[in-house]
Amino acid sequence: MCSACGFPARPGHWTDAGLTTAHDRIRARFTRATLLQKLLKPYGLTAHDDGLTGLRLSTLSGASVMVDGLDDLWTKAATLAGRPIDVL
Amino acid sequence: MTDTRIALTILGGYLGSGKTTWLRHQLHIGARPHVIINEAAEMPVDDLLLQGANGLTVLAGGCACCTGKAALIAALRHLCDQRSGGAQIPEIILETSGLADPGAIATAIQTDPVLIHHLRLTRIIVMVDALHGLAQLASDPLGRAQISAADDLIVTKTDSPQLAILRATLRYLNPTATLTATAFGSPIALPDSKAAPLTDFGYDTPPITALKLALPEIDWASLSLWLSALLHVHGDNLIRVKGCVQTPAGRLLIQAVRRTVQPPEILPDHAENALVFIGHGISHAQLHLSLSRFISG
Repeated sequence: MCSACGFPARPGHWTDAGLTTAHDRIRARFTRATLLQKLLKPYGLTAHDDGLTGLRLSTLSGASVMVDGLDDLWTKAATLAGRPIDVL
Repeated sequence: MTDTRIALTILGGYLGSGKTTWLRHQLHIGARPHVIINEAAEMPVDDLLLQGANGLTVLAGGCACCTGKAALIAALRHLCDQRSGGAQIPEIILETSGLADPGAIATAIQTDPVLIHHLRLTRIIVMVDALHGLAQLASDPLGRAQISAADDLIVTKTDSPQLAILRATLRYLNPTATLTATAFGSPIALPDSKAAPLTDFGYDTPPITALKLALPEIDWASLSLWLSALLHVHGDNLIRVKGCVQTPAGRLLIQAVRRTVQPPEILPDHAENALVFIGHGISHAQLHLSLSRFISG
């Protein structure tokens, strides 16, 4: 990998394919954060995206982690919640 | 925008299913891909039969979906380097060993940080031996994994009395793959019949079903979040997900094999906004309810 430009980086996540502009991307982040708040509430978790550093998951007892992408999100959320986040 | 990546076709199928014969015929009728042959055994022989290819790479002594995965990735990277240096390599056909799961190979390629920028997986073709196919499917889970990973199923040795039963069984295992038959490369028609009962592997596997979920008005950020969550937990049961989704970038072709989603491509605008799910123990009502609940919160 080029240490100057970072290419080739890890493969872009497939969910990025539908977002072309910076505006689309930042709006998608906030939309996802809002949906995650609702989805994760029954699991005792909160999600917050400040638009800069990324998404942070927190438990009601104060533990929190930063997540790196959606795959990491579901893994860390399951770890914090103690069970998988099952949308079904 | 034109996709200039190298087109990659994965050719799989059980031991002795006719992969090399089919590929040899494709070369005979004019195809000129670069061919990569993977053989689990130390001594390769198939390369001697495929001299018409536009370049040949032999990977022997390790199956590319497991022990030989690193060698396959290295060989593909080498080809990509050659192509970047000016070599004419418009297409690659990877003939897997008979012991390989093509889905695992596709996943390895699509998650490689270099190959993802250079290769475009066009399809997974799986050959099925009509003479021994049913017995293999009944006795070996690998055979079933190969069938479920296929985009195109090609039946060979079609003079078997079990051909009609095999066809129905393949349709049961992979309802959306195209199903054709060849005899030394020439297409023939397949008769229809009821499915043959499969061997009990000692665990209770729900039947594979295919269903289409018409997508409601939903933005890409929400749908992709839902789909990624679904695949993360239920990826083992969802063998394939295919479909077309409207996004700000245009209509995207979505294709997933278990938990691995291919980089989506942009489609013409007239494609239908829907996803097809193929897997064990899924129902339309369950998926529809889940998505509706997810959107509404």
